[in-house]
Amino acid sequence: MIAFNDAGKTYTAVLTRKRVDALTGFTMEMRRGEVIGIAGPNGAGKSTLISLLMGFLNPTAGSIRIDGSAPRPWVEAHGVGYLTELVNLPPRWKVPQALERLANLAGVPANARRARVDQLMTQLGLVEHASKQVRQLSKGNLQRLGLAQALAGDADVIVLDEPTHGLDPLWTQRFRDVVAELRRPDRVIVIASHNLDELERLADRVAILNKGRLQRVVEHGAMTVSPASLAWRVAFEGDVAVDAVMPAARRVEGRAGAWVVEASRTEMSAALGALLGAGAVLVECVPAESGLANAFRAAVQE
Amino acid sequence: MSGDRSPLRYAPWLARDVAMGPGVLFLVVIAVVCAVFWRLSQGAQNMFPITAELIQVNMLNSVIIIAVLIAVGGIVSGDAHNGYYRAFFSKPMPVWWYYLQRWILGGIAVMLIPVVLGLGLNLVLGEGHGITAALMANVAIGFLLVGGAVLLLSVFTRRDWLIVFVVATAQRAFASFIEVGLPVNEATKMAWQALPPFHLLKPGSPMLEGRPLLHAVGYGLAMTVIALVLLRVRPLGSGGRA
Repeated sequence: MIAFNDAGKTYTAVLTRKRVDALTGFTMEMRRGEVIGIAGPNGAGKSTLISLLMGFLNPTAGSIRIDGSAPRPWVEAHGVGYLTELVNLPPRWKVPQALERLANLAGVPANARRARVDQLMTQLGLVEHASKQVRQLSKGNLQRLGLAQALAGDADVIVLDEPTHGLDPLWTQRFRDVVAELRRPDRVIVIASHNLDELERLADRVAILNKGRLQRVVEHGAMTVSPASLAWRVAFEGDVAVDAVMPAARRVEGRAGAWVVEASRTEMSAALGALLGAGAVLVECVPAESGLANAFRAAVQE
Repeated sequence: MSGDRSPLRYAPWLARDVAMGPGVLFLVVIAVVCAVFWRLSQGAQNMFPITAELIQVNMLNSVIIIAVLIAVGGIVSGDAHNGYYRAFFSKPMPVWWYYLQRWILGGIAVMLIPVVLGLGLNLVLGEGHGITAALMANVAIGFLLVGGAVLLLSVFTRRDWLIVFVVATAQRAFASFIEVGLPVNEATKMAWQALPPFHLLKPGSPMLEGRPLLHAVGYGLAMTVIALVLLRVRPLGSGGRA
């Protein structure tokens, strides 16, 4: 559905002619039914990539196609559910009015608009802020308004740029539920985020960018357990001497009963078996670093 | 995405924005003008004739450029600068069409100034309204010329209204220098002639005809069309987050 083909964006300063390569040689296909994550440190090119996808910028190299069309004509014909990193809306608009206007622009029919706005306000917890102007909203509430307007239309392409920016933990979890509900076979969802845990939970594939280049694409199956570091975090009730079974184990400072262990899955299973057989009570055993986190760290250090 | 794709579906909201912004300001100014002339007509009835036509002409001659700047200044650049365009134009709405509608509504607000002023003057003076075909045509040409320049510049810069104001003021001053026969070198004269013919904006004069009419309308239309083409092909963003 979305095809980046060697896409690049170079900014050139008008006076000094100094060039900055914000994105270089980005090639990737995003298919219907997929949730695609875009990860990368600050300045990696995530926002430029999204601006190119939305047609707010033209590429200086390569091409971007949505269903075979250039992005801007496609967006103008079909619309995209787009949540910006910084939600900017006219400050004097009231919350329901902002949603009604943007639902109107999104093409929601007049006879269904009111109901759609009410539904979005309920879904995103904005009902209690109905009398407020946009400028009176907190960061988190503004983010929820941004998400609500992105969902106003029934778009086939949804682009969420740092969607949980400013959300509290409760709404971060609810956001994940909302995105899970958005998934459908004819829709592609693109999520750019610094939050690797979020991408790991939501995305089928994650493209890791660094310094404007695509470093690697991590598939969902490879995200959950680190294939490389094999570091585990284990915790037991009481004081269990894990280092008696695994000499390389290190205690986690400030957390009684918690250890970090480097071991293969087989070694870890054997050690756990020995400890549990000796009467230890397991509290947790999780990979200390996910495959995605591992790939991200490796990619940005390259 | 399916649904209401009527190209005019957002026009009522745009009309509301124009009415609540420039519209209210114009109404307040017109109310003040009417109040002032009502007072003058009460106290100085026999000293000098106050007619609706005279007031219309003088008022519009003075404020036509500023009125257009208020109606459409920052029309594109404001949304671009504030980042509103990202929410607006992720929706199925062509950029050029959105701004054309907003621009036309600004023009309607300007065209309503002589109408509302005429009604107000008729109310306070008791007779006449000063609305003539020539006056309305000149106001429309004024909007096309100044509004077209603002729309075009607004695609590039946030200072659209300021540049148009400075150029129009300088250009009109220069025209009066030439009219009184001050010596002007050829290069300066050519530069002046290349600028939009703001000096032709005189709502109180007879309707433009012939070459000056073509010059003003052609220039205004050309700037408007170029602006719309640029909005069609030129991306609104200037950077990753901008």
